[in-house]
Amino acid sequence: QPGGAPYYGQQAEPDYINHPPYQQQPAYGQPPSGGGVGALTDQFGQMGVGGTKPFQIYTTNLLTSPPDPRDLEVPPPEIRLPAGAALSQSPYSNSHYSYQRSTVNALPNSGSLVSKAKIPLGLVITPYRSVKEGEEPVPVVTDQVIARCRRCRTYINPYVSFIDGGSRWRCCMCSMTNEVPQLFDWDQARNQPGDRWARAELNHAVVEFVAPTEYMVRPPQPAVYVFLIDVSHTAVQSGMVATATRTILENLDRIPNGDERTKVALVAYDTSLYFFSIPPGTTESSMLVMSDIDDVFLPKPTDLLINLNESRAGLESLLGRLNDMFQENHTIGSALGPALQAGFKLMAPIGGKIIVLSSSLPSVGGGSLKNREDPKVLGTPKESNLLQAASPFYKSFAIECSRAQVTVDMFLFSAAYQDVATLAGLPHYTSGQTYFYPAFNAARSEDAVKFAHEFGEVLAMPIMLEAVMRVRASRGLRMSSFHGNFFVRSTDLLAMPEVPTDTSYAIEIVIEETITAPFVVLQTAVLHTTCFGERRIRVITTALPITSNLSEVFASADQVAIATLLANKAVERSITHKLEDARDAVLNRLIEILQAYKTSMTAAGAGASAQLTVSDNLKMLPVLVLGLLKNVGIRQSAQIPPDLRAYAQALLTSLPSQQLIPYIHPNFYSLHNMPPEAGTVGEHGIILPPPLPLTSERLERHGLFLIEDGQTIFLYVGRDAVPQLIIDVFNLPNYDVLRGGKTTLPLLDNPFSQRVNAIVQKTREMRRGVYYPHLYIVKEDGEPPLRLWALSGLIQDRTDVLPSYQQFINQLKDKVNGSGY
Amino acid sequence: MLNFEDVEERDGVRLSWNVWPSSRIEANRTVVPIAALYTPLKQRDDLPPVLYEPVTCKSTSCRAVLNPYCQIDIRGKLWICPFCLTRNAFPPHYKDISNTNLPAELLPKYTTIEYTLSRPAQVPPIFLFVVDTCLDVEDLKALRDAIVVSLSLLPPYALVGLVTFGTMAQVHEIGYAECSKSYVFRGGKEYTPKQIQDMLGLSAQNRAAPRPGQPMPPQSFGAARFLMPVQQIEFQLTGILEALTRDPWPVASDKRPLRCTGVALSVAVGLLETTFPNTGGRIMLFAGGAATEGPGMVVSNELKEPIRSHHDIDRDSVKHFKRATKFYEGLAKRASNNGHAIDLFAGCLDQVGLLEMKSLPNSTNGVIVLSDSFATSIFKQSFLRVFNKDEQGNLQMGFNATFDVQTTKEMKVSGLIGHAISGGKKSACVGETEIGVGQTSAWKLNTISPRTSEAVYFEVVTPAGQPLQAGARGLIQFITHYQHSTGQMRLRVTTIARNFAEAGSPSVAASFDQEAAAVLMARIAVFKAEIDDSPDVLRWLDRMLIRLCQKFADYRKEDPTSFRLTDNFSIYPQFMFHLRRSQFLQVFNNSPDETAFYRHILNEEDVNNSLIMIQPTLMSYGLDSSPQPVLLDSVSIKPDVVLLLDTFFHILIFHGETIALWRKAGYHEQEDHENLKELLEIPVIDAQDLLADRFPIPRYIVTDQGGSQARFLLSKLNPSTTHLSATMYGSSPSAGAGQAIFTDDVSLQVFMEHLKRLAVGAQTN
Ligand SMILES: [Zn+2]
Ligand SMILES: [Zn+2]
Repeated sequence: QPGGAPYYGQQAEPDYINHPPYQQQPAYGQPPSGGGVGALTDQFGQMGVGGTKPFQIYTTNLLTSPPDPRDLEVPPPEIRLPAGAALSQSPYSNSHYSYQRSTVNALPNSGSLVSKAKIPLGLVITPYRSVKEGEEPVPVVTDQVIARCRRCRTYINPYVSFIDGGSRWRCCMCSMTNEVPQLFDWDQARNQPGDRWARAELNHAVVEFVAPTEYMVRPPQPAVYVFLIDVSHTAVQSGMVATATRTILENLDRIPNGDERTKVALVAYDTSLYFFSIPPGTTESSMLVMSDIDDVFLPKPTDLLINLNESRAGLESLLGRLNDMFQENHTIGSALGPALQAGFKLMAPIGGKIIVLSSSLPSVGGGSLKNREDPKVLGTPKESNLLQAASPFYKSFAIECSRAQVTVDMFLFSAAYQDVATLAGLPHYTSGQTYFYPAFNAARSEDAVKFAHEFGEVLAMPIMLEAVMRVRASRGLRMSSFHGNFFVRSTDLLAMPEVPTDTSYAIEIVIEETITAPFVVLQTAVLHTTCFGERRIRVITTALPITSNLSEVFASADQVAIATLLANKAVERSITHKLEDARDAVLNRLIEILQAYKTSMTAAGAGASAQLTVSDNLKMLPVLVLGLLKNVGIRQSAQIPPDLRAYAQALLTSLPSQQLIPYIHPNFYSLHNMPPEAGTVGEHGIILPPPLPLTSERLERHGLFLIEDGQTIFLYVGRDAVPQLIIDVFNLPNYDVLRGGKTTLPLLDNPFSQRVNAIVQKTREMRRGVYYPHLYIVKEDGEPPLRLWALSGLIQDRTDVLPSYQQFINQLKDKVNGSGY
Repeated sequence: MLNFEDVEERDGVRLSWNVWPSSRIEANRTVVPIAALYTPLKQRDDLPPVLYEPVTCKSTSCRAVLNPYCQIDIRGKLWICPFCLTRNAFPPHYKDISNTNLPAELLPKYTTIEYTLSRPAQVPPIFLFVVDTCLDVEDLKALRDAIVVSLSLLPPYALVGLVTFGTMAQVHEIGYAECSKSYVFRGGKEYTPKQIQDMLGLSAQNRAAPRPGQPMPPQSFGAARFLMPVQQIEFQLTGILEALTRDPWPVASDKRPLRCTGVALSVAVGLLETTFPNTGGRIMLFAGGAATEGPGMVVSNELKEPIRSHHDIDRDSVKHFKRATKFYEGLAKRASNNGHAIDLFAGCLDQVGLLEMKSLPNSTNGVIVLSDSFATSIFKQSFLRVFNKDEQGNLQMGFNATFDVQTTKEMKVSGLIGHAISGGKKSACVGETEIGVGQTSAWKLNTISPRTSEAVYFEVVTPAGQPLQAGARGLIQFITHYQHSTGQMRLRVTTIARNFAEAGSPSVAASFDQEAAAVLMARIAVFKAEIDDSPDVLRWLDRMLIRLCQKFADYRKEDPTSFRLTDNFSIYPQFMFHLRRSQFLQVFNNSPDETAFYRHILNEEDVNNSLIMIQPTLMSYGLDSSPQPVLLDSVSIKPDVVLLLDTFFHILIFHGETIALWRKAGYHEQEDHENLKELLEIPVIDAQDLLADRFPIPRYIVTDQGGSQARFLLSKLNPSTTHLSATMYGSSPSAGAGQAIFTDDVSLQVFMEHLKRLAVGAQTN
């Protein structure tokens, strides 16, 4: 073996040798642009530089071509705009799909064409995806010259046209003629005539404007963080309080505070509220206990919400002692609602972020909840009741928060039922996020590490504050419904007290009238205040060609965007209707697409067919839909605790595609026989093994496998794994002494251990976002629940009532052919 | 003849009559009721408490204590209870008594005796400070310092606690080691006792507390978090006090600060009643202004709304008065029912709402100190005097006191006027007539000090014509049960006996103690004034005086010039004249708070001090004459004298015009004018003597004739020369000698003329 890479198995050659050759591509979820030349050319291709080329359609028979996970790594079909559509030849003149992607990259010209294609029209927007080192940052227009259409308020972008010798511009959305602003061609930095054509907003589809005062109703707010820390007996004993306070302490320098205006408050609660007053410049703090939770008020006007810099010493001292203060607390119960009201009162005049850390079901005061978990209801039509809010408190409080520019993040830790469905409503309407650590126990270092990592990332996140988002589009297009974490303030204005990074929003589009233009423009604008106190507008412009050709619609369809949109719609439907309705709607939509394809795009037409066909670029859609149907969020099951389901639903409606796709279609690697370069450092970082189809047929009794969905990593160990493998990876003598469960993988002095560790590390780091997946060891003959959980990621398997991929495809074929329909 | 003051020295009691009429009708004719002003803890250096239990009457409805007036049967080892006539056997350990070997309580000199009971108090005394933080920086600092000093004056085992308030009220968990910690209560909200208990995390079981002097068992919940032995917590509590800052809520320039005195008190009362019911404790309220928030609000926080005056109250136009008064009365009742006292220390130039809050100290025998600020020596010294100690180093302060009165069958108890609430004891001694707090023969005093003096009123119930045995006498027994600051439970028993006079006997008149009578009548007048309009009270006082004179003066009908009063009645009309003019009944020159304060003090002092309040003393110092008391009359003002006025509340040194001129010229600093220097110094030394054991510390004023502060003197003087004197009668004989006073009040001389005419039945003009 070259390089001495070990392998484990009875075969003479590693398994991968038998695989068809393929080019090493980044796994789905690896940054699409590592900054290399390849990435750039990839983008050039997508931007359609060089004029319109007709889409070539390639039909695939799903019955004979099983899903290949590598297909998910391919970028969406390119956007081929007519020549001259853009003012600029810049490769950035159309938005990258990581910011904004459409379900089709050639938009049908009419509603009737849409209904023929059956592909749901929509945008998946991640306005603030994080920008990793080496990536192109979003250019900022700092001269406060912001050209907007007088009529439709569109921001000037690469798709407008200049007329009258450049003194006026025509809006690409509504065709209105607008004056070019006076200073548009003036270089304010150098105080000399500038080059219009160099302006970022004419070359970049993703751009950020520094907003002048007209865009402010008040001076930009400072960043405010209010921590509500559960200090009940349960919370303290679980180690949550110690971990949380230590994490805050360790991350104080990472909390955005570039302008030194950041404010912080800390309120502890059990069945009472504990405020802390920290006068600036002291190390002393005083605790103010408020037991009057029916009528929450602030005990002091000052020193509760403190400037992070001025009161740093006192805050550090308090964080260092908080856990000790409540070490002997015997109170059980939670006044979460009153704590929220207190937090709100502290920051309401400014706005900002409330971070809730809660270890039990809210039990007293406003917003108290009853344990409504009922195993008898699970799997029945009544189950969706458990996914709805149990109390109107959280929604009405959320709306109050939204108005006051307050966002809420929920960190939930309970070992027992906590009503995640109800609590998650608060982040949902305030553009926050829910994080769930069921049965958290810091005595297990893995629990502490995961929470500390994710909490730390949330603290360090460069959040955008007091934001509103609106999507404008060319005439004939209308944004019809909105999915994600925000509050719809007026028909199409999304109120977001905070825009967290790496969070997605899905918006459905209807075509209201026939479009004659060769292309249309969709523009997302997010007016916000940065966490360093600057008012800005992020503008994301996507231009899409218009087509009257159904084939082009299919050929340009983005299966990842479609799956993302379907996930959002399914969750919404599961709450407003039933889980079964949600699954049916997703499934029927897939069948309709396949039927439409068969009818319009293949010779079979309306007749029966022995094949099940779809365009090549959609061939992963069935397996993605199957993954969605099998996801904890909407899966048919009578076993899923409502809290886990509700949390999965929160993820399904907020994860950007980059994280959502593995969440419904996990990655599956065989490690014991991975290629020699896997787990070593290549040109784009650590090289991952080739992903395997999600079927247990690939499992081998002597093997070591990794299954991960972005939230959890499973190391699956076959029962015949040789002792050497166990020694090399786990530092244990043999399989028998290996224990299943949550673990920290030792880093051992052997190449295989190092490669496995590198793959685990890469898996944890490769996607944008805060999540730090737990690692579980799963033994083939270990505890059944853990094994079932791990193997539920192999969605092509039949499990219980849910079909295998093959069964699913056959069912689809039957349905498409009209039987049982 | 008894010497009243000797009796007072021995038994702490002064009676209006020392020989009693033998029937109800005769008693009614004596006008002034039989009454006693009794000082239960009257200091008796010759009376160390005995270390045994009292012997009590076995009758459960009586329980009178064995005393020198009991008939005893040495051989039968029996004693007869003089109150209920039950025959009681002496307890076994009295088996050896003989006529020469009697226990102390049977010796004639022990008509007053104090027992130390064997069961000590379960809980040491408690001091809960309730501190206003809406103060300016200096005031707050002075207050903090004073409280810190007081900690060192407390017995080390005393439990202390702290409530602070402003916009909100905070109960400090003084035992919390990690940081300063307090429980916050909303200022604008009325909390039920149950809510307070729940919010402080107190449960009814957690009442365990150590015996005095023993360490508190460690407890992480319950009362021990809020009330801890001062020896254990002094350092930490001092730290908390020193860190106290002004209420942080902003106050607009047109507003008063929000001050939730009512909530703070209700939380304090709630804390004590939950944790330590029926044991000795005092809540000390320090108020820097009137309550402006929540229950008990006295005035709104809008500055444009002035605080109420007597006129406003008269017109019934005060928005918060009734509700606030009712609120504080409710608190006072809860506190006093649990044996807890509430003290009021006001440090404010303006009123603090004492009128509304007066029931708190009045029902619980708490102290009131009014001062312009907590930085004044009036406050500081008065406050520290609360903690005066005896020679053994024990606080001169008793706790959770109750007061019982027993009478022999010819007499019944009409009631009590003083700082107490009814103990609700409907014994056989309770009479039909009600004076003050009646319908009971027992009262709760809560706290008690050597100054505490209660007025008890009696009626004779023997029907007329029922013959009395020769030498028949009536007995009164006062029984005071209290928790000594050492933690001992003590019982002070005073038994007095007085003869009944045969009908028509002159001995009744001869036994009249006009000083005691004046004070006892003053208490009735003030008690009535609290309920009725003052004109009615004045008319009542006049009527009583006329009737008394009609009964006891010598005169020929319709001949005012024949009117004579014997010595022991002669100055009584003068007391009544000054009482009518006093701040106790003439309220309009004072604020409602001051009135409440003056009346409170009158109700707790003994005869001598009360008389000073009613009729201030005036000393005159001249270059050529030795210091002498002079008439409280405008004629006493002379240019070449220094006057020293003591009104009890004010001590004023007044330099006559000439003296003032000389002083300004600095003559007293010259060698050959040492006599002037002396003249200026002696009144100051005398004033210091007066200040020495006065409580509260009087306001000390030095002024010159014609100075603005001189009004304090002029208002007290009998206006024998007024601005009207000259115009009406031309130059009066004393004109030129005295100073004209601008008043419409009648002078003592005019008053006496009227009295004589009315008493003798002559026509008035
Ligand atoms: Zn336009
Ligand atoms: Zn008896």
